[in-house]
Amino acid sequence: MKYRSILAAAALALASAPMAQAGRGDAGNLNIIYWQAASILNPYLSGGTKDIDASALILEPLARYDENGNMVPWLAEEIPTVANGGVSEDLTTITWKLKEGIKWSDGTDLTADDVVFTANYCMAPDGGCQGLAAFADVANVEALDPLTVKITFDKPKPFPYGPFVGATTPIIQRAQFENCVGAKAPECTEQNFNPVGTGPFRVVEFRANDVITMEANPNYRDPDKPHFATLTFKGGGDAAAAARAVLETGEFDYAWNLQIDPAILSQMAKGGKGTVISAFGTAVERLMVNLTNPDPALGEKRSTLEGGPHPFLTDPAVRRALSLAIDRNLLAEVGYGAAGQATCNVVPAPAIYVSTANDECLVQDIAKANAILDEAGWLPGPDGIRQKDGVRLSILYQTSTNAVRQDTQALIKQWWSEIGVETELKNIDAAVFFGGDQSSPDTFQKFYADIEMYTNLFDGTDPETYMKSWTCEEIPSPANNWLGSNMPRYCNPEYDALWAKLAATGPLEERAEIVKQLNDMLVQDGAMIPLIHRGRVSAHANSLTGVKLNTWDSEMWNVADWDRQ
Amino acid sequence: MFDAGHARRPLVEVRGLKMHFPILAGVLRRRVGEVKAVDGVSFDILEGETLGLVGESGCGKSTCGRAILRLYDITEGAIRINGRDIARASHAELRKLRPTMQMVFQDPQASLNPRMTVAKIIAEPLDEHTTLSRREKMQRVHELMDAVGLSRDFANRFPHEFSGGQRQRIGIARALALNPQFIVCDEPIAALDVSIQAQVVNLLEDLQEQFGLTYLFISHDLSMVRHIADRVAVMYLGKVVELAPREPLYSAPLHPYTQALLSAVPEPDPSVRSTTERIILEGDVPSPANPPEGCNFSTRCPRVMDICRRQEPEFREVAAGHFVACHLCSPQPETTAGATAATQVSKSVQQGE
Amino acid sequence: MLNYTIRRLMFTVPVLLFISFIIFLLLDLAPNDPTGNLPMTIPPEVRQQIRESLGLDQPIWVRYLLWCKQFFINEPLNIIEQWFGIQIGDGDRLRVRSWATRSPVVDLIVERLPQTLWVVGMSYVVGILIAIPIGVVSAYRQYSWFDQIGTFISMVGFSVPTFFTGVLMIVIFSVWLGWFPSIYDTTLVVEDWASFMQQVRQMAMPVFVLALFNAAQISRFMRASMLDNLNQDYVRTARAKGLKERTVLLVHVLRNSLIPVVTVIALNVPQVFGGAIITEQVFKVNGLGQLLIIGIQGADIPLVQTLTFIFAVLIVLFNLIADILYGILDPRIRYD
Repeated sequence: MKYRSILAAAALALASAPMAQAGRGDAGNLNIIYWQAASILNPYLSGGTKDIDASALILEPLARYDENGNMVPWLAEEIPTVANGGVSEDLTTITWKLKEGIKWSDGTDLTADDVVFTANYCMAPDGGCQGLAAFADVANVEALDPLTVKITFDKPKPFPYGPFVGATTPIIQRAQFENCVGAKAPECTEQNFNPVGTGPFRVVEFRANDVITMEANPNYRDPDKPHFATLTFKGGGDAAAAARAVLETGEFDYAWNLQIDPAILSQMAKGGKGTVISAFGTAVERLMVNLTNPDPALGEKRSTLEGGPHPFLTDPAVRRALSLAIDRNLLAEVGYGAAGQATCNVVPAPAIYVSTANDECLVQDIAKANAILDEAGWLPGPDGIRQKDGVRLSILYQTSTNAVRQDTQALIKQWWSEIGVETELKNIDAAVFFGGDQSSPDTFQKFYADIEMYTNLFDGTDPETYMKSWTCEEIPSPANNWLGSNMPRYCNPEYDALWAKLAATGPLEERAEIVKQLNDMLVQDGAMIPLIHRGRVSAHANSLTGVKLNTWDSEMWNVADWDRQ
Repeated sequence: MFDAGHARRPLVEVRGLKMHFPILAGVLRRRVGEVKAVDGVSFDILEGETLGLVGESGCGKSTCGRAILRLYDITEGAIRINGRDIARASHAELRKLRPTMQMVFQDPQASLNPRMTVAKIIAEPLDEHTTLSRREKMQRVHELMDAVGLSRDFANRFPHEFSGGQRQRIGIARALALNPQFIVCDEPIAALDVSIQAQVVNLLEDLQEQFGLTYLFISHDLSMVRHIADRVAVMYLGKVVELAPREPLYSAPLHPYTQALLSAVPEPDPSVRSTTERIILEGDVPSPANPPEGCNFSTRCPRVMDICRRQEPEFREVAAGHFVACHLCSPQPETTAGATAATQVSKSVQQGE
Repeated sequence: MLNYTIRRLMFTVPVLLFISFIIFLLLDLAPNDPTGNLPMTIPPEVRQQIRESLGLDQPIWVRYLLWCKQFFINEPLNIIEQWFGIQIGDGDRLRVRSWATRSPVVDLIVERLPQTLWVVGMSYVVGILIAIPIGVVSAYRQYSWFDQIGTFISMVGFSVPTFFTGVLMIVIFSVWLGWFPSIYDTTLVVEDWASFMQQVRQMAMPVFVLALFNAAQISRFMRASMLDNLNQDYVRTARAKGLKERTVLLVHVLRNSLIPVVTVIALNVPQVFGGAIITEQVFKVNGLGQLLIIGIQGADIPLVQTLTFIFAVLIVLFNLIADILYGILDPRIRYD
């Protein structure tokens, strides 16, 4: 305790004069628990959300998304648009103006140089930068003056807000990282553990995979913020333990990602010490339908376009029946509670992109599913399994190992058996399933199964890159080392053409219309069977105010505003 | 050796000694029966004599020896050593009496603490019962080592570094440390090579002479007992069946069990060997947990009678100093064989006098 | 003994090299991928570049030799430099780096050691201190009520998993009673009485849970070993010598019974360094066990390789120590 108070006193002493009556540091210590511990504070070399959220306390981008998915200027003066002249008419450049007077926590000024450096840092070869996708098509980043940055793209970018928007691509300090570019990036342990930032906090001590101690950034731009003098970012344990620490024992103020049995979570919430909060982003748990033949007899060609079409999943009737047989509301209730809603769309949010054309599937209708199969000529065989021309409706259904997913699998297997479809279940460790090991047959890219289930989502609010996932060129195959995100091996020239149109369209309303069409094509052609729109569940102590759970950006996005009642 | 002329006083008196071990069974470990390892044994050991205690393994002779030294809490009976009843003595009282009574164990390896040097092993009783200085103790240790024929140089060695015979010498030296009057030798030579056995037995005899010791010599080796013992007691299934001075017992055993035992002993004299007929006992020794009714030996006795299965024979003196528990030797002998044997015994006893 | 020790040590070198290679091979064969836990929003091409930046595109023998060089040459040199404050060569050596944290694995281990030694080590010591008296009394009063209760508690301690006892204790003592914190604060610095008490409170539950488990194991060993010795002739000899029962028990029986127990205790010391994966996870004592499990989950191969290899070294070393201890304690054993 004493240790803490010394820190608090130090922070107070460092803070500038105006904060005397209200604001910075008067709320004491903020205790945050992430049951996955942060490994590194450089989001460009991170291992996942935990690191990005931890670094969001320190590092900031030019613009963020708020809790409603709207872009808000952060280090920039305003969001550049074609209207205000920030984006060129031909959509190939975007010019950001930095706010004046922003300082790094070491007291030096933030300049356009830092922004340029950040781009070069991530785009350097051999760096293994995790945020590289955001810099797709970036041709050049240059500083026009100390507060102006111009990004030039290779081609027109109707949505030019990839770089420096959102939690994954914040600005790092050039002075600090100058010698850490490219292959040297991983060797800069000191920098990666203690980045200098413009955000509300700065690192006091970083213990990898354990705990981070932070204190208020004395040079933070708002003299009244952050309200907390110190911050502890603890990691480890499991989601249930994190929930308990906030809701039952009150040891912590904020717990992240509480994907546990909804019944247990609501029981814990009755403790009265904290509040469970949830919000929905773009994540959808869905079934991917393999449109190619995964027959092992095909050898190298299994699950590739060359291997030929799937023996029965290419029949739209089968896919529609499979979808109709599922009670999505029950799945949501059993597995996700407050963090799940039934959905029939690949793009479930933001609202302007959401299609209503597929809502048939929201209500389970086994009778109708049976009728569709009967009509299509799939009739029950002697063993009760439907068949046609010697092909039985027998499905291998794989997913990653995870209690909720296995519950879902079991329920779906039951429903499918009611429509005469035989299902074999398989689950694979997440690190293997989602890992890209070329030698493993169990990756989600190789898809040596008929159906696979996982959650996919997109960063930010713009689905353009996301929708590209299902174009023909994204199909994983031995030729591209199975790299690609088009798991269903869906190849439709119309879809590709429509996506190309999206990539060239500027106005938001038109873009939304195209995205809805793309979404409907994917769902109606049965490349995917969406199940659950997944939200995020977190919990905060009742005494903590200002928390706005944000699924479009880091959960820590507005930590400067958090306060204690 | 056996000087009956002077009526020596008994140093050890054992009366009706019983040592029953409980048999516990079931979840609650209830007592469901008992192993009657020693079941009513009475004898005296005279000062300066060696009483041999023989019998098959499992007959209770070792238990008997340990019970006499109160290494067990006995079930019943009286034990007087040097006139003092120790049967009910507390552990604290016993500790004070330990110096007078000692034991030499069968397995010289197991009976010596492997982590103690010879000097420590021998000196430990001195630490406990005397107030000698370190030097005096060392002096005593060396004396004892000399007495048992061990080089003084070995004082700082550990037991495992010695041969079996040497180890037994250590065991004897240890037993002698406190100048005991009475030593129970529990099969002291059974674990040794034949060549070593004689050495150890001779050592025991020498020490007896030197220190005026009284021995209870427990063994299954009848020829060795014949060599060392003044009187011999024969045990069968927890009871002493015959007790007599050495010569009468060996030349004219009365109890059929003793006869059987002796017939099994290899006779070095070929002329005698041809005349003695080997008696082979049939059947197994009954379990001491469930001894037969009547005479314990009735299940295997070659000359069993009706009465043997009903009534337990009394342990009585049939000739001077010759005790036997057998219906064959009871006052109304039912067979001539028994009578002949009895007369033979009385004759030989007379010869002895 | 010295010759024996040197001979054994010489023999451990090829053994350990072999072990390190096997570990490397196993980790490489395991279908695991360091980019597997990255958010789904990261496209596959970027993942491939990350993998290449980690050197995963090199053939296995190159990666193994590189690790060997880093671990057997560079890291020791680094330690020597740090200890003696001298500079060897240009000092710019490739160190074994964790893929998840990008920091030197050895630094991570050094950072984790204190809490693991405090909590797991303390629980081991406490467990031994509880176990030995329980084992002695249980054996001496075999089948008494004390022995029965001791047996029952050992069975419970041994068979009930720590993730159950741990969570149970958290619910009782943290949630209901509020006596102890449910989350261990690794940054706590003991500098005065209050912070010391804080440290005691946060250690209480994990130490107790682990100590119960350790004590259960060791007390059974102790009891069995005591029973073995209690029926030996030399104990009868000691009694026949007229020694006090205390002396018989503590000098003769206990000392001899401790020989196998001490070796078992020595053999289990590497487990202390290995940390207690489950208990550390339950109480958020982020020690070596938690480091290992995070490494495994995140396919952080250099970290897992280095940690498991260090455990292997410790196991081999403590096997040797146990053998030597046996030789010192039991005069019957001589190695030369």
